[in-house]
Amino acid sequence: MRVPLERKVLNENDRIAATLRERFKTNGVFCLNLISSPGSGKTSLLERTLEGFAAERRVAVLTGDIQTDNDARRLAHFGFPVRQITTGGACHLDARMVERALEGWPVEDLEILFLENVGNLVCPTSYDLGEEARAVLLSVTEGEDKPLKYPATFHHADLMVLNKIDLLPYVPFKADVARENARRVQPGIEILDVSCTTGEGLDRWRAWLDSHL
Amino acid sequence: MSIAATVLETLRAEAANHGGAHVARAGLRIGELSGVEPESLRFCLETLVAGSDLDPLAFDFEICPWTRRCRACGAVFHVVEWNPACSACASPDTEAAGGDQMELTYLELEEP
Repeated sequence: MRVPLERKVLNENDRIAATLRERFKTNGVFCLNLISSPGSGKTSLLERTLEGFAAERRVAVLTGDIQTDNDARRLAHFGFPVRQITTGGACHLDARMVERALEGWPVEDLEILFLENVGNLVCPTSYDLGEEARAVLLSVTEGEDKPLKYPATFHHADLMVLNKIDLLPYVPFKADVARENARRVQPGIEILDVSCTTGEGLDRWRAWLDSHL
Repeated sequence: MSIAATVLETLRAEAANHGGAHVARAGLRIGELSGVEPESLRFCLETLVAGSDLDPLAFDFEICPWTRRCRACGAVFHVVEWNPACSACASPDTEAAGGDQMELTYLELEEP
């Protein structure tokens, strides 16, 4: 007997994500999902971001890793609420992990919630976390063809942050080719060049965040 | 692997809804932009099914192309070599039209 299903595989994840999105929207929380390879600088970008915020800003971070709470420790120095999600093997965050991690947190009082995904350019792409926007980080120590190799990830991103641009004189990375590749995969993608080491471009990144509040 | 596990969870639930019937075959629709590599997913599914309560279970994959729609001429075209420009009229003014699919399409049940 053939039974038609026509159902999204990640139906349950998408249902929870829709609930989260509604909650963020109702309360005016800008939720940003940060995705990249391991070592592209997600945590560094968040460190520089939190460091630059006045203490009264209502900002929080959920940071995902397979093991350790090292990132949460790094980020906790800045006085803003930070929680670690240790996925215990899973190579991505899913909406249920985010929902659980937010339990007992005053999400309603936030203006920005950062979701730092597990370092991985594949699996996080498939999981909606209820975010309003998705940013993918690419660093200049990687290949400029990453957008072509991982088109799904770049296709679903609103913003590409090109990080470590202070290293451009020392690496063969062609930034213009990387930007062109990202725009081939996602013609509408916004692109910001930054260096978390020198601080270059971070003013534009902060302006981008503020433009979403 | 977690996507494969989610698929099997759904199949078990559906089998239970149909009086514990055995699922002989399941259809999946996977888009080129879904972030899922069909052969990897098939490998994970087969690994999890082998020797489990669901064994034997076959999977049918329908692969959906990455498509865009042209805002100028209306054509829906397959994106080849990451080229977002319209394959009919060459306009660069195009929008995403498909390729995100990750869906369970059907089941074939054997009565217990």
